[in-house]
Amino acid sequence: MSPVRALVLTGFGLNCDLETAYALKKAGAEAERVHLNTLVAREKNLLDYQIFVVGGGFSWGDDHGAGVIMAMRLKHRMKDDILGFVEGGGLVLGICNGFQVLVNLGLLPGFETRAMKREVALINNDCGGFRDQWVHLAANLSSPCIFTKGIDKIELPVRHGEGKFFTEPDVLARLEEQNQVILRYALPDGGTAQGEFPHNPNGSVADIAGICDPTGRVAGLMPHPEAFNHWTNHPDWTLQREIVGRRGGDFSEEGDGIRIFRNAVNFFE
Amino acid sequence: MVARLEITLKSHLFDAEGASLCRKIRDYFGWNPDRIRVVHILTLDTGLSIDELESVRREIFTNPVTQDSSFRPLAKDFDWAIWVGFRPGVRDTAGSVAIEAISDYLGRSPGSGESAYTSRLYLLSGDTLEREQIDTIARELLANDIIQQWRIYARSEWNEEEGIGLIVPKVVLAHTPTVAEIPVPSDEALMALSRERNLALNPQDVPVIRNYFSRTEVVEARKAVGLSVPTDVELEAISQARSDHCNHNTFRGKFHYRDLATGESQVVDNLFKTCIEAPTLTIQRQKDWVVSVLWDNAGLARFDEEHNYAITGETHNSPSNMEAYGGSLTGIVGIYRDIMGTGKGARLVAGLYGYCVGPRDYAGPLRPHLHPRRLLDGIVEGVRDGGNKHGVPTPFGSLFFHPSYLGKCLVFVASLGIMPGKILGEPSDQKCPRPGDCIIMSGGRVGKDGIHGVTASSEIYSANTPAGHVQIGDPYTQKKMHDFLLEARDEGLITFITDNGGGGLSSSVGESAQFAGGAYVELDKVPLKYEGLDVWEIWISESQERMTVAVDPSHLDRFMELSRKHEVESTVIGYYKGDGKLQLAYDGRTCAQLDLSFFSEDFPQWQFDAHWLPPESRGLQEPVLGEPRDYTKLLHALLESPNICSREWIQRQYDHEVQGGSVVKFLTGRERDVPNDAVVLRPLLESNKGLAVSQSLNPTYSVIDTYDMVAASIDEAVRRLLAVGAVLEEIGGVDNFCWPSIQYDPVQNPDGRYKAAQLVRANWALRDMCLAYGIPLLSGKDSMYVDGHLPGEFGERHKISGLPTMQFTATGVVSDVRKCCTMEAKIAGDLVYVLGNTANELGGSEYYDLMGYVGLNVPKVNAEAFWPLYKALERGLASGLMASCHGIYRGGLGVHATMVAFASHLGMILDLARVPRSSTGGMQLRDDQILFSESCGRFLVTVSPSRQKDFESLFKGLPYALVGKITEEPQLVIKGEGGGILVQEPLALLKRSWRQFTQVDAD
Repeated sequence: MSPVRALVLTGFGLNCDLETAYALKKAGAEAERVHLNTLVAREKNLLDYQIFVVGGGFSWGDDHGAGVIMAMRLKHRMKDDILGFVEGGGLVLGICNGFQVLVNLGLLPGFETRAMKREVALINNDCGGFRDQWVHLAANLSSPCIFTKGIDKIELPVRHGEGKFFTEPDVLARLEEQNQVILRYALPDGGTAQGEFPHNPNGSVADIAGICDPTGRVAGLMPHPEAFNHWTNHPDWTLQREIVGRRGGDFSEEGDGIRIFRNAVNFFE
Repeated sequence: MVARLEITLKSHLFDAEGASLCRKIRDYFGWNPDRIRVVHILTLDTGLSIDELESVRREIFTNPVTQDSSFRPLAKDFDWAIWVGFRPGVRDTAGSVAIEAISDYLGRSPGSGESAYTSRLYLLSGDTLEREQIDTIARELLANDIIQQWRIYARSEWNEEEGIGLIVPKVVLAHTPTVAEIPVPSDEALMALSRERNLALNPQDVPVIRNYFSRTEVVEARKAVGLSVPTDVELEAISQARSDHCNHNTFRGKFHYRDLATGESQVVDNLFKTCIEAPTLTIQRQKDWVVSVLWDNAGLARFDEEHNYAITGETHNSPSNMEAYGGSLTGIVGIYRDIMGTGKGARLVAGLYGYCVGPRDYAGPLRPHLHPRRLLDGIVEGVRDGGNKHGVPTPFGSLFFHPSYLGKCLVFVASLGIMPGKILGEPSDQKCPRPGDCIIMSGGRVGKDGIHGVTASSEIYSANTPAGHVQIGDPYTQKKMHDFLLEARDEGLITFITDNGGGGLSSSVGESAQFAGGAYVELDKVPLKYEGLDVWEIWISESQERMTVAVDPSHLDRFMELSRKHEVESTVIGYYKGDGKLQLAYDGRTCAQLDLSFFSEDFPQWQFDAHWLPPESRGLQEPVLGEPRDYTKLLHALLESPNICSREWIQRQYDHEVQGGSVVKFLTGRERDVPNDAVVLRPLLESNKGLAVSQSLNPTYSVIDTYDMVAASIDEAVRRLLAVGAVLEEIGGVDNFCWPSIQYDPVQNPDGRYKAAQLVRANWALRDMCLAYGIPLLSGKDSMYVDGHLPGEFGERHKISGLPTMQFTATGVVSDVRKCCTMEAKIAGDLVYVLGNTANELGGSEYYDLMGYVGLNVPKVNAEAFWPLYKALERGLASGLMASCHGIYRGGLGVHATMVAFASHLGMILDLARVPRSSTGGMQLRDDQILFSESCGRFLVTVSPSRQKDFESLFKGLPYALVGKITEEPQLVIKGEGGGILVQEPLALLKRSWRQFTQVDAD
């Protein structure tokens, strides 16, 4: 069986591409970092891949709204490819800046894929600035989302200044109804954060940290699963080592974030 | 046509930007505006039609979910409006991105002269605010007059039709570039010219310069290319090349050192050679992992068999002091370029910060250009945007408050990179441009920004310092260039690369021409931000985000193809040649020709008198201080003190996990807010090898003796690295000196000779410690002239000199990150040990400072005595014997034991009677001395009872003692020498004090 091919977008201030490609490889994919202009010039074809990841970063410096200009360029230069990719059964994941891009591109929430309509937004954190912290996340087991399948909770870092999920009540109701909310900021005990800072680090409406489209094949999230690629990424790993070590136990070296990528790879296997 | 697009959040949405400003206004001034809403303005000076304007408004610049926008004024419901925009010529990245986006959307290239300018309109509500207060808010919080302009409107003055009108801060230089020929008939004439043009020439250099231009062979050669008397281009180039900033004349000077107490004197010839170069070369011969030192933009050391890591550090004090945000942003992206320009180019893996500023709550009579509180906020934000937007983690840093930094703040920036040891089989650390190679300038364009930056930082900040050298870095452009250059490197297209920092092309081309043997540059080829720059300005401008690259002509097409792919501008501006000359031309005519040998000519060595007086002779003594009774209150007070308290608010703003290799984070403990000794990264994700880095500075010890200041700082940086699991044999260092002026002047600098002696002693310590611990100096930089002249309340000016400061950065390779250790205690029942002796060494300590004293007994480093203990610790950590490990630094055992405890959410019992102490001196130590002495060479570790035997046998014969236990109940119990309980306090309360002055991140 041929390996699952994943494309990680690069260029114009996107970053996180090395670790995202690494996480995809750990999950079993053949991951390639491809510059946006290489795709636009048709030197590589998006349709040759099965997973398309727009990762974190500051595309175009995030001036004029995070992800806005990247979304515009994708829409105007690659619209048909992207729609063809989505409708052909490919998986699309937007992480942090990539989530902002997908939302501005209108692929998310994607009530009607072809409409590419902006219906939700990621805006300035209520706390007023950029924040790097680990969060507890509760996942929605009823969601059709491919990426979060079988995950009930997970810890990941958030690193953003514009991560507050906002939408009007009618759109929110529809998202909830269709189980398109995939991740919510939670308390350490697993209960939802109910907007409480810093558990909900940005003031997101309904503690929303990630959503998917109705098919579950397009998803976006603010936290960074690729940054939990190794056991030692977790802030408490030295404590866990003592606790488990004294019991004579052992560790998996893999970080929990890899699960999200493995779900994507397994979808094709 | 000029159009003004206004964009704002829909009125029912919370305006986080406005709310943050309200908090800052309360924090800075104590006033309470009811509400602030922010309108973002984009002024478009373009050829767009009305229809096109409308479609870019809708499609690009307005989010239909959250924003309203209009080409008409949006402001309503406010009491005051403050508009803030850039002055002409200030870097406006968002403006140029807007033009890029518009062109992209419309599918056509921008027309010449099309530009966009961003600005903000702040709408304040609150009927108690007076015009005077609004004026203060504008001037002291929202705008900095060096780079910004502003306008204030009361509600009654607001024109609802016009709004702010159309403000276009376009640079218009009605000037035709010229080359001036300047006769310098006498030394006096050249000195006068130097003053007039801000050349900052040293009087000793003047005769050498004049002599060069009068030599027959020089005159003949110049004649052949149409030159006679020196041109302004040449004089500016010489000024740049000879500046202290680029040439390190101070460190290479001759010091006539005299100990005034003993009368002994000696000549110290060249501090750089004797105290930095010589020890480093000695150590390099012993350690094969030291790959490249003392010549390139950064040092290189071996990471693993296939990779080297790069490290360097510098300061960006003068620009940050004037424009905090732009200065520190330019500083951090500038130090990144040093890594990008090391060897054939390294990939960035980390940036570090260190800030020394005046007291945050300073309320005295002096008027620094920016109040320390605002200055600090600005520099913190500048490094934040530089790091975050570059995709480079900022994992570690420091902050130190002292009134002496009111004159000039210190902004330390350092960065690390990683690169393959070989590129297509060639060693990547070596590079040399060859005659015939193209000289390419990549990245940003050249403007008037940054003119005379290096010469200005070689001077004391005064009312006449030209403001033109303040710049704003652009991490977006630089990140694109970073990705592009790494791709070009890996294809073997780069022969040589260096950055354009201080001195611009003059420095990058001038220095690389030395390697090639000559260079020819056509300055009219250099892409400009706007027309009208003089030729000399193009040559020395420090406009940011540029690299100079040498490319073999056969690789040129591919290099340019990659450059286009990444949308980075690259231009061939000349070629290297081999005739020993640096030749510059404009419009086909030679405007400068200098022999490369001239730059290494026999310029007279700078001379300094250095007079040392030992601290006793300066009247320093130990305070007569009775023992305190309320230790709990004292401990709370120390934890609250500005130099001990929590700095989580800074580190949280920095992305410290991007690139996915974070292993040991700076903020640790159960609430993830207590600073760890050092950080560890996994720069290559496939490998379990780690790179550890730490930094330290201890400027208050300088008041007693700068020798001990440097020694203690290096010892601290070493201990910080050891604590996480780095190994002693592979530690590399970076020294960053920041010193007040040491040139004696009876009126302007009456204690210059003492400051010069302080510099000599600091360098002696650097040499001694590097040799003792075997640390090569992988890189380093000095920044002199940390002085400021501040206006007082009667119109007088006061000179404020910064404390002599050296920040030391230490790096080390960790062979297996899974063995790394963190500082917080882990499990109740664990045993607490102190390693290393405590002595009566409270001079310059936080405790004495709290009491208003300096003292005399500064901590001393005895490297030979510490070494075996450090080696034992290294072995213990490698075999997993310790559950936690933490060095004891500023604040002493009391403060650091408390931090180990409150980070753990457990409790600790500590028995001072058991703490090991040095036998010398014969004096018994009091409880306060044991708790707050800052003796070097010490650690506090916790150990599982099951490992007690192994642990104690490892440290047999070394100074260590079991001093306490980790308990389930989260309280701190300290027993005194006499057996009584000195402190019994819930750790949550101690932590609350420690966090008291941390900024509240959210309401």
